Amino acid sequence: MTPLLLILAIAVPAAAGLLVLLLPSRRAPWAPAALAALTCAFELVLAVYIFPHDFAFTWPWMGFGAEFAVKLSRFSAFILLGIATFSFLVTAYSAVSMAKAPSSRRFHAWVLFTVALSAGAVLADNLILFLVFWEGLLLTLFAMIAAEKTRPFATAVKAFVIVGLTDLALMFGVMLTGHLAGTMSMSAIRLPLDGLGAVAFLLLMIGAMGKAGAMPFHSWIPDAAVDAPLPFMALLPGSLEKLLGIYFLARVSLDLFILTPASWVSTVLMGIGAATILLAVLMALVQRDYKKLLAYHAISQVGYMILGIGTALPVGIVGGLFHMVNNAIYKSSLFLSAGAVEKEAGTTDLRELGGLGRSMPITTICFLIAAASISGVPPFNGFFSKELVYDGALERGWIFYAIALAGSFFTAASFLKLGHAAFFGKPANAKRTVKEAPWPMLLPMIVLAGLCIVFGVANSLPLERLIQPVLGTAMKGAHGGTFAGFPTNMLLVGLTAGVLALAVANHAFGVHRTGRGIGAVDHIHHAPGLSSVYKLQATGALDPYRMLGGIVGVASRGLYALDRAIDWVYSGLAAQSALAVSWVLRKAHNGNVNRYVLWALAGAVAVVLAVLAVTGGGR
Amino acid sequence: MIWFTLLLVVLVLAALWASMTTTLLRSTLGLALASALLSVVMFSMGATLAAVMELSVCAGLISVVLVSVASLTRPRSIQEELASRRSRLRRIWPLPLVLIAAGVALSFVHAPVDIVLHLPKGDGDVRTVLWSLRQLDLFGQILILLAGALGVLVLFRKEAKDDD
Amino acid sequence: MSDLLLLVPFVAVVLLYLLPKRARTAGLWIAFGILALETAAAFIDRFATIDFGLLAPLGKLLGFHLATDGLSELVILCTGLVGMAALLVARRTLEDENEKFLFANLVLVAVVGINGIAMVRDLFSLYVFVEVTAVATFILIAAGRGDHVFEGAWKYIFLSVVASVLMLTSLGFFLLSTGGITLDAARTGLAANAPLAWIAMALFLCGLFVKGAMVPFHGWLADAYTAAPAPVSVFMAGIVTKASGIFALMRIAQSTLGGATPGREILLVVGAVTIVVGAFLSLTQTNFKRMLAYSSISQMGYIVLALGGDLRLGILAAGLHFFNHAISKSQLFANAAAIEKQLGTLDMDEMGGLGARMPVTAGTSAVASLSIAGLPPLAGFWSKLLIVLALWNAKEYAFAAVAILASLVTLAYFLSLQRRVFFGKPLEKWAGAREASVGLLVPAVALALITIALGVGFPFALKILMGGGA
Repeated sequence: MTPLLLILAIAVPAAAGLLVLLLPSRRAPWAPAALAALTCAFELVLAVYIFPHDFAFTWPWMGFGAEFAVKLSRFSAFILLGIATFSFLVTAYSAVSMAKAPSSRRFHAWVLFTVALSAGAVLADNLILFLVFWEGLLLTLFAMIAAEKTRPFATAVKAFVIVGLTDLALMFGVMLTGHLAGTMSMSAIRLPLDGLGAVAFLLLMIGAMGKAGAMPFHSWIPDAAVDAPLPFMALLPGSLEKLLGIYFLARVSLDLFILTPASWVSTVLMGIGAATILLAVLMALVQRDYKKLLAYHAISQVGYMILGIGTALPVGIVGGLFHMVNNAIYKSSLFLSAGAVEKEAGTTDLRELGGLGRSMPITTICFLIAAASISGVPPFNGFFSKELVYDGALERGWIFYAIALAGSFFTAASFLKLGHAAFFGKPANAKRTVKEAPWPMLLPMIVLAGLCIVFGVANSLPLERLIQPVLGTAMKGAHGGTFAGFPTNMLLVGLTAGVLALAVANHAFGVHRTGRGIGAVDHIHHAPGLSSVYKLQATGALDPYRMLGGIVGVASRGLYALDRAIDWVYSGLAAQSALAVSWVLRKAHNGNVNRYVLWALAGAVAVVLAVLAVTGGGR
Repeated sequence: MIWFTLLLVVLVLAALWASMTTTLLRSTLGLALASALLSVVMFSMGATLAAVMELSVCAGLISVVLVSVASLTRPRSIQEELASRRSRLRRIWPLPLVLIAAGVALSFVHAPVDIVLHLPKGDGDVRTVLWSLRQLDLFGQILILLAGALGVLVLFRKEAKDDD
Repeated sequence: MSDLLLLVPFVAVVLLYLLPKRARTAGLWIAFGILALETAAAFIDRFATIDFGLLAPLGKLLGFHLATDGLSELVILCTGLVGMAALLVARRTLEDENEKFLFANLVLVAVVGINGIAMVRDLFSLYVFVEVTAVATFILIAAGRGDHVFEGAWKYIFLSVVASVLMLTSLGFFLLSTGGITLDAARTGLAANAPLAWIAMALFLCGLFVKGAMVPFHGWLADAYTAAPAPVSVFMAGIVTKASGIFALMRIAQSTLGGATPGREILLVVGAVTIVVGAFLSLTQTNFKRMLAYSSISQMGYIVLALGGDLRLGILAAGLHFFNHAISKSQLFANAAAIEKQLGTLDMDEMGGLGARMPVTAGTSAVASLSIAGLPPLAGFWSKLLIVLALWNAKEYAFAAVAILASLVTLAYFLSLQRRVFFGKPLEKWAGAREASVGLLVPAVALALITIALGVGFPFALKILMGGGA
């Protein structure tokens, strides 16, 4: 009976989602959010309950290798736990922030479907089944952004197109992998990275990165930050997508393919990771909107994860995975704090905020803890995971390490600016009275901030219980068997401390120069060379989606003429002839019963003559 | 042989008259005549029982039923009658023509058919045939009668309602 | 006892007329109950051989020579389901208590006819029960209130008479050539290649083609379906035409023709022509029910086409398509009833954007349309696939291609129907239109669910069907 608990993990949220859709929303406006929170609580309990077990369940479904196979391995149990935890926290939060929104019912239904689909994707042991769940997430993504119906539609389309294209690559990758391995069962596949295998790996990697939001598949996230509801940001780009994307990347790198430090694919991964870190954080640096700033940081942090996994070294992989967990924790905490600010102060434009530290103390403290974690300040969790990633990156090449370190600098600078502009200093708009957020919004933030501390100080808990078991035997012989505890490479620690100090100095310089917290990085913004790049970025010219749109536009005009001709054959010729045939036949049916009888009798004569002809009147 | 052919020709003509005439009563008359001629044919071929059934049921009973149902109908007005007469040839001329033409054409088709007349097995007793061999068909015919009765109930009540 | 399937509805009709006028409203529900029992009877294996203790002496008294097998059970199941749907539709679309009572009774008579068709072993009895069904259906159509009712009924009975003539003539020839009119006797006669037997079979097939509305014997169907009152259309499209014509063809193909040419070839050609002509005729119709009527012609062509393929698979495919069409077409006509009741018109040129106003009707009609058009994972996809496979196995590649191409036209006219009626912005004149009452929605939703369930769970159903055998 117990492997069926796995099915429950998928089926219960799906059923709850259906229920929410069918509930009449007028009578109990709080019902969708409450139901969602309850379901996620159940999911969390279930995830904790099944965590220590090793279940598997297979059911032949469609043939051709597509089976309904779910399996609970250490890794998927851990991710499932993460999914359940974050969805619970966010739905508890959104119970308040979205309670009165007219789209609450649709939004919460889609949240529940997302949870169900994510659980399915994580538990799936068959590539085709995995693909089904993954694609389903595309739909819920679109639906959640478009939940409020008017403005966000363009963003939803953008998200759909970008993630959809990467999903297409994923599909090809899955087909190729299945073909190379001869099976679609994920636990049975283990391919070397050469020739077609590398191509398959890259395709799958594109799919994973699209979901996780790495560059160049990132440009929808900042738009969504502005248009989509806040809990959505906390849940999807903040935590779930990273968990799923990096989970899949890790599965592909560790299980499905044999990623070694010697292969060029590993270098490609690290390059993408490093580029993402730096480019995204540079964009984040100059943002004036709280939410957009956080969105760019989300993109940047993914770079660390990809870099870590790309090193193909145990220390880097563990670091990348740990960073995934930590990022989920502090990123969602940061988005939730943005939501609290938006609710209480009414805006997220940094130019209009300020001095919230006095009126929203708890929010401020949670923000500070999360900001310190993301910047890599000890003893919070971000520091430990970043150190592991640095260690791995340095072993593979100093350039990667340098970029990652630079990224940390800008991250810290950016958050110093954000914190100063929003929470400290003089309030820009003194008239509005701001109070602390209500406790259902505070509790999740506090829990997450607490986790930042716990996962940092007692990092053996997540590392040894959750992450290192993923690597299994590869962990032996490295570092005395565990990466927990304080990092041993003091050079790296020193450099990190130095970079943080540099960031503080930079901030002080910036504030002194412009007199306001928000101007803390203006000198970087207007630096020669960078300023023109920033100007281009502001116009959207650097957006890969737009560039794609441009290329597509040109190509489509070229093909238009050819298309017209083919189209004429189908919708012109074929349709007209079909309609003509239909018209002729209709005219023949004039309603005269005698005519119909004639037809019947003529048909009978024809049939009899045919029969006679064939049987030849045998004698 | 000649009488036989003549009988068949008159039978066909009676049937044609029954379908082309414009009054219900004349039609019923034509049907009765055709049935009577058919029973003569059957008698001359040696199927005495069948001839008797045909005469009594079809020529007799059915004609009575038809006439009584026809009495429930509204007689046609003069205009309807004239219009029907004028258009009837136009309406149905192809049908008998085609039938006759097909018959002629088929007669030229040399289908080497070996007709072996199988005499009915067992005793030809009507009672045995009806009650033990063909009970199911009897049941079916009762159903048709039932349906017909329902039909008369429905259609004429409806006519009456529509006329009110 | 299979005799019960014939006797119970008959006795019920007689008893119902003995009820006092005030109790007649129960008539519909009694008929419903009987049909529910009939549906259940289809699932009881070897229903024919069950001995209901007390009724045993009755069995000895009656000498009905009946037999039930897989095909019979199929028809009995469809009759029960379609009949129940038709009764539910009648409850909400017929206005008069008298009309409903009469409808229930006539349906019961027709059901006896259909059950008889399903169970006889003899060509003459087949003819008798075909007549029973025809008369009952004729009255059902003629009792309606709309325009052109009598025209539709008249065409129906007139061509039915032509069919009777063909069938009786054929029986005469059978007696001449083989001396018997059971299906076995016919088979021996055909196997011996006696030309007269083949002429007789050809004529009988033509008679069945008329009843089953194959092209070019189909002239009556469109007017009959369109003019008939809503529940009658449901009943006719769902089971009557199929049982009288198509089922008999299946029975003959299975037991008598035995895959021999020219029987197979006739079925192939007629089936193919019917599919194509029916589909093209549907394409440009403006009346909702008329389009569904021509679509029915086309789909029944598919069933006949399947019989021309590899025999075992062909019978299975034909049976499956029979079932799917019974369910989906009845459901579409139930949707038509809902639209007619709510809007008062069936002219598709006047409709538009009803999807927002009548979501359940729109949703279920979409399910049925896509199923008939053959889209996975609905039930219709599987039956179409099996038909094509049956043809392919028998090396009839051209006919398989025709079947597939005609599916395109089928999809075209159904999408056109959906677009014209349900999609787009609601027209102003339908601003006040609301979804039909629950009584009309229940049959539509139930039938749609069966379509979906059979489609999704088809691999399981297939195991049961292959085991049960046709």
